[in-house]
Amino acid sequence: MQFEVIARCHTTRARVCRMKLAHGVTMLPTFMPVATQAAIKGLTPQQVESLGITLILNNTYHLNLRPGIKVLDEAGGAHKFQGWNRNILTDSGGFQLVSLSKFTNITEDGALFVSPFNGEPTMLTPEESISIQHSIGADIIMQLDDVVSSLTVGPRVGEAMHRSIRWLDRCIEQHKQSGRKDKQNLFAIVQGGLDPALRDLCLDAMIERKDQVAGYAIGGLSGGEEKDVFWKIIKQCADRLPSDRPRYSMGVGFAEDLLVCVALGVDMADCVFPTRTARFGVALTFKGPLNLKLGKHTKSMEPIDKNCPCPTCASGMSRAVLHHIVTIETAGAHALTIHNLVFQAQVMGGARDAILEGRFPEYLRSFFFDYFGDTGYPEWCVNALRSVGVDLMQGVDIPLVQGSGVKWEYSDAA
Amino acid sequence: MAQTQLESAQRIGSLFPKLTFKLDQGKQFGPRIGRLCLTRPSDSLINIRTPNFLIGTSRGVIPHFSRDHVHSANGISWINVPFESFLEHSPPVPTYQAGSQPLHNFLGFDTSKHIVSLSLRDPLDAREMPANGNTHVSASCMRGVRKVTPADWRSYVLTMQPDIAFALSDTPFTAAPHSQKRLTKSIERSAAWLADLLRPVENTTGDSPTPTLNVFVHMAGGTSTSARRAFSQSLTETLHGLEVAVKPLLCLDEGVAGYAFDLAAFHVRPAPLSHNDRGGVIKIAENSLVLQNSESLAQTSTPDTAGTPTSLSSSMIEPLSSLSLSPTLDELLRASLDPLPITKPRLVTDVRSPHEILRLIRDIGVDVFDAGWVVKAADIGIALDFIFPVPSGHDSGPDHRKREIGHNLYDAKYAYDFVSLTNAFLAGYNRTSSSEAPVCPCVACSPVAPTSPLHHSKIDVQSHQARSDDDTSRKFLPPFTRAYLHHLLHTHEMSAHTLLVAHNVAVLDALLTGVRTILSGHADQNEAAAIFSREVTRFEEVYDGAMSVFHTARDNWKDVKYARGKGRLAREAQKDKDVRSVHSTEVQ
Repeated sequence: MQFEVIARCHTTRARVCRMKLAHGVTMLPTFMPVATQAAIKGLTPQQVESLGITLILNNTYHLNLRPGIKVLDEAGGAHKFQGWNRNILTDSGGFQLVSLSKFTNITEDGALFVSPFNGEPTMLTPEESISIQHSIGADIIMQLDDVVSSLTVGPRVGEAMHRSIRWLDRCIEQHKQSGRKDKQNLFAIVQGGLDPALRDLCLDAMIERKDQVAGYAIGGLSGGEEKDVFWKIIKQCADRLPSDRPRYSMGVGFAEDLLVCVALGVDMADCVFPTRTARFGVALTFKGPLNLKLGKHTKSMEPIDKNCPCPTCASGMSRAVLHHIVTIETAGAHALTIHNLVFQAQVMGGARDAILEGRFPEYLRSFFFDYFGDTGYPEWCVNALRSVGVDLMQGVDIPLVQGSGVKWEYSDAA
Repeated sequence: MAQTQLESAQRIGSLFPKLTFKLDQGKQFGPRIGRLCLTRPSDSLINIRTPNFLIGTSRGVIPHFSRDHVHSANGISWINVPFESFLEHSPPVPTYQAGSQPLHNFLGFDTSKHIVSLSLRDPLDAREMPANGNTHVSASCMRGVRKVTPADWRSYVLTMQPDIAFALSDTPFTAAPHSQKRLTKSIERSAAWLADLLRPVENTTGDSPTPTLNVFVHMAGGTSTSARRAFSQSLTETLHGLEVAVKPLLCLDEGVAGYAFDLAAFHVRPAPLSHNDRGGVIKIAENSLVLQNSESLAQTSTPDTAGTPTSLSSSMIEPLSSLSLSPTLDELLRASLDPLPITKPRLVTDVRSPHEILRLIRDIGVDVFDAGWVVKAADIGIALDFIFPVPSGHDSGPDHRKREIGHNLYDAKYAYDFVSLTNAFLAGYNRTSSSEAPVCPCVACSPVAPTSPLHHSKIDVQSHQARSDDDTSRKFLPPFTRAYLHHLLHTHEMSAHTLLVAHNVAVLDALLTGVRTILSGHADQNEAAAIFSREVTRFEEVYDGAMSVFHTARDNWKDVKYARGKGRLAREAQKDKDVRSVHSTEVQ
């Protein structure tokens, strides 16, 4: 990996970087769409590439189950298998310890999963995870970490954090022996729950191993924790992580979360949100989400956003047509998936330009004004951005919203 | 009905494109080639060489295609839009579309590339409906059944300005045979409703020529040859009495641009008696797709029909030849066409196999076929793989069994099959200067790297500069493999169906291109017909006309669908399993 910081925001911790991997250059900060089972839902790889996306995420746990390592080996890796010749990052399978917790049993050796398909137990050890990721051949691979839900309290959080460090060492060793370090880059994942002391311990240990890892992820968040805790942990980690390594915030996908993370110094993020919400009929826009299932869109001949460069909006596809097909025709999911991926890319691309041109604080202010101006600013965003020197409230008279403040278009039927 | 709005729409574009059909070669019955040509008032021109195909939409979209795929699929030049799904709102939402070519614009079709026709009903939907009346057709939308009068239909057509409109038809969707009374009613209503659509359009612009709609008529008469003949004759009779409103036409046929045969009604069969049959209820052997979402894809055996053991072995894509129609399909089509001029295009919807298409070309001279069956094949994971004419050396397999017309990609044998979807065609990537096999141009077999990806910031150019490992000498990327499609199908990924629709449409396109090439390759008509006929026989010898691959594919498709199910799906899975076990014990 060639990693180079190109520009820094004069006020916040935001930065623009150039990350060159085996399958091309990806400019950071960026959002990574999720292709869990080797496909961005409903699209072809060529369509995804045409949207200006250069880095997607595959999931180790799922690809190991189907199609399985033998198939991937014979195909010559996941790039060839799915016809995607840009960059891929694979999640290690650690997150499935939480999301599929009903099926797992964690020991020091690794995680024992019960296959949801045939009930067969499979052991996922750190070594096994890395070796699967070698078969997949992703440009960025993640250590196996011991993930606990971010709502977990008590000694289990500390245990998981310490185990994640031990597992990192085993992953490093496995990766080193493979001789694939020139093609595939191992990222460490900082754990420690919502406890700043545990996070610091984890950061100490992982920063110590800096020469053995190509980048760092911040894990164990985005699981329903208080947003004020979320941003503080992100800030704590981003502040301490070495500046010559990319920083990846796992599971972050709402536009406001992304921009706060970028301002705190995060370079990469992934989430199923934009693609999943598309399948439920929701289009993301700079004025907030549009729920196209709502009756108010029935007769609207406007596109989702007339300034959006995505193929859906550029073709003039009206909200009325989308209302007619979303959640019924697969083509409706395709149209919104395309749009939402471009929206995410536009949010991050806009951030890159703004940082380069020294106007990132203004970009934040105008984004929040357009997005939340009518409903009020989430207080946690205001707090988080104040911590890096940007005051969203400066010169505007907009109410503060407690809690997550996340914006949503609810049913108008009620 | 918002009359003012409809009227204003009519004023905006009162000129319809001109559709002509030139029969280059062929006679009353037998293989023929021709050209369907649409000239727009703007002078842009769309030329479709026949035999060719049209593709139908579901809720206004080609199933599984995003708009860029519609535009990149070069074989698609005629798209039919069933209007009924839009009847959920009154007035229907598409009528709000402003500007010229509202139907094209509303649905994102290309006026320079796509002929777009409008029918009230989905011609593939043969579910039983409440009876039509003397002045209305029962149409189906998600909010229930809607009664559509000829006046409604005329106003929708004039507002939406399709390139071609299908006249309303009174088709009974109950199992044949129908009573004489029912058939007479069907013929009379269909003729009257056609006459209504053919009434001249009020010319609002003054001195310009009277605009005329391009109208296709569904050939009524059901399974009775005499009724079919009578309907056709009524089209050619000199008009008198009330029908004078259709002036200046001398007879209805003069205003008809083409003849349509909807075979769906022929597939309606009385259900076999079964343990849960509640006496005399007519069931439909086949349930065409109304919804194309991933849940209801190709779901053809409703719990009801699944409850009848014999229907388990019947397929929605069962070729018509296996339905013992009496009189035969040939006789029925001939009875309709016999009294009519030969120079008008003939359209058949709901064909179900390449064999059937070839026979209809050979024996009748059908010019346009609907592609619904290849979309259904894609729904259940089949990649079509056949070619016409069959090249030498492409005989049936070593065990002398006929070739399947496609691959059921659910089958475990494809898990490690890293080749492109067909044997009959090459992937663009694998083509060399010495290759003889044709290339399949679809996005699955011959994907092309996007030429101008979107940039989201000024520095994105660095991401898209030519990369050292790029092989720029090749135009095409490697094809998607059977192994990948197998994986996508088993993981329930929608991308599988997108790639398969694109592929299957391209294979159908190649079939019809092959037909035209043979028929146009010989100046002597009879010789061309004889050679064509030999090739059809050879095709029938090489490829399995029973299409058993469709049966297994559908079972596999169901298994995958139910495997992931919770809630409703889980309950249906259990029901289906019970039915299957009942079936298997009965078989034993």
